[in-house]
Amino acid sequence: MRIYILRRLAEAVPTILMITLVVFVMMRSIPGDPVVALLGDAFTEEDAAKVRNEYGLDKPILVQYGLWLAKLAQGDWGTSILSGRPVLKDVLVRLPVTLELIVLSMAVALAIAIPAAIIGALRQNTWADYSATTIAMIGVSIPEFFAGVLLLLVFSVALHGTLPSSGWVYLPGTCPMLVCTGSVWANMMHVVMPAVALGIGRAALLTRLLRASMLEVIRTEYITTARAKGLAEKPVVLKHALKNALIPTVTVMGLQVGFLIGGAIVVEALFAMPGLGSFGIDAIIARDYQQVQGFALITAFAFVVINLIVDLTYSLLDPRIRYA
Amino acid sequence: MNTLPNVDLPVVGELAGAALAAARSESPLAQALRRLRKSKTALFGGVIAVALVVVAIFADVLAPYSPTASDQRHTFEAPSRAYPLGTDQLGRDMLSRLIHGSRISLAVGVASVLLALFVGVPLGLVAGFYGGRLDAGIMRLMDLVLAFPIYLLAIILMVIFTPTAGLIGTIKVVGAIAIVRIPIYARLVRGSVLSIKEKEYIEACRALGVGDRSILFHHVLPNSLAPIIVTTTLGIATSIIVEATLSFLGLGTQPPTPSWGWDLKANVAFIHQNPWLALFPGLAIFVTVLGFNLFGDGLRDALDPRMK
Repeated sequence: MRIYILRRLAEAVPTILMITLVVFVMMRSIPGDPVVALLGDAFTEEDAAKVRNEYGLDKPILVQYGLWLAKLAQGDWGTSILSGRPVLKDVLVRLPVTLELIVLSMAVALAIAIPAAIIGALRQNTWADYSATTIAMIGVSIPEFFAGVLLLLVFSVALHGTLPSSGWVYLPGTCPMLVCTGSVWANMMHVVMPAVALGIGRAALLTRLLRASMLEVIRTEYITTARAKGLAEKPVVLKHALKNALIPTVTVMGLQVGFLIGGAIVVEALFAMPGLGSFGIDAIIARDYQQVQGFALITAFAFVVINLIVDLTYSLLDPRIRYA
Repeated sequence: MNTLPNVDLPVVGELAGAALAAARSESPLAQALRRLRKSKTALFGGVIAVALVVVAIFADVLAPYSPTASDQRHTFEAPSRAYPLGTDQLGRDMLSRLIHGSRISLAVGVASVLLALFVGVPLGLVAGFYGGRLDAGIMRLMDLVLAFPIYLLAIILMVIFTPTAGLIGTIKVVGAIAIVRIPIYARLVRGSVLSIKEKEYIEACRALGVGDRSILFHHVLPNSLAPIIVTTTLGIATSIIVEATLSFLGLGTQPPTPSWGWDLKANVAFIHQNPWLALFPGLAIFVTVLGFNLFGDGLRDALDPRMK
């Protein structure tokens, strides 16, 4: 198992390198460079040349990429051109925020999808099934930012600020400042609307998928056998049917991570959260090359790790699947 | 001794012919259309989509005001008879902005999917049909695009293209979304080509000496159309969401061109004072996406009843 995980991670290295290289080349093909943003409008060509030299921007692109890789190998993610802070430090501060958002939104999605799909599959073509599938269809069609706006309208406007409409309170232990009031309760109050906004579309998608695979599984012979030998309905559904129906769902959840990372950019922008999404988009717009590279690297890495987790989950759900 | 039953051979021929004719009278396409007509949700989705196309085409006639004319005397007005959906911070009529905004959403949604289709389908056909190095080369490139989170790639592409207003700005958004979606078609088509090209009727074509091009376009492509049609309809819904998201992040078509995503973003800032301003553009996006999703879903059930 450990060897398998190590092998998978090693195999992922070329993919990660490829993604960072493409982002590197693409960012440098954008018209304009960060020097202008750094020095303002009034600067001499001499100043600009000095700054470009300082950040190595005057070298050929592939040489620059090689230098970035060489530094990366020593654990140096570079320094943000605009903020002057080490990129790795900022990534580590922002990662827990986005991770919390994504994990909770997945939890929201599953908490809605599993019961809805079970009801839909067991009571196929009844009003309960129709309402579950209709709500799922509506959920699939709501973009994250509109779901967020609807939540804002209800909890921040109509209910006069029951939940905070923007900002962030760090979990204890993840706070970047020296003086910090980390609080689990305040953190939850801040994360609940973004997590629901991001999770609701995934919930809808997973409901549709899980309902379809539940319908398939429930007609198989081993379910009939389980019922015939007198097993109660609850273990039949939860232990035998659900566990097997979850396998395709887990695959799709893994594929959805790309959307979740994109969705996080939008939701973080809407709720003014200090996560990786806003870190990435700010950097892309400001052409902060080093920061963009850091964002691309952590995103690509997250992709690989999550796909690995998905594959490992298969063996939990189906013991016949083993990795050696 | 095995003998034929004592019937007139012409009668047997007639019966078989009649049966064939009956079967032929309802082609798979006709069957699919019949199933589609029976689906109320698909019809509902179709009606929404058609209504939106009509609104977009006749926007100039339907909109009561100009979508960009500001009126400083009527800023932030609540919905009223004069302004059914209220006005924004520049005193622009929200209803007129939404009516004109439908043009961007629909144009980008449809055009980006068509562009992705016209590039992706031939790539998939060629990759699947010829295989070998060509296949490996094309598919590695597609995998590389797919390895990116789609929003990340679309955002970077939009920054490279630098967002602008008007037609040029719209074309840039179409291009960015199309590039992101090309691999979806390439993969889909390659997959069905791989299974179709092993079928006996393709072998029969080859034995008859039919050329590659004719086999590809007359036999392989028509048989892989169903998933392409479904993906296209559902793809329009996704593209409309991506367009709205880009606009929401400030990277879509730029003002003064009215766009739903941009309006939503601009008005979220005033959500506490004027909640309706953020609500209406969002509702417009939602209803449009719902329409295409319902229609695409019904289409899938109609074209492939096993998937229901």
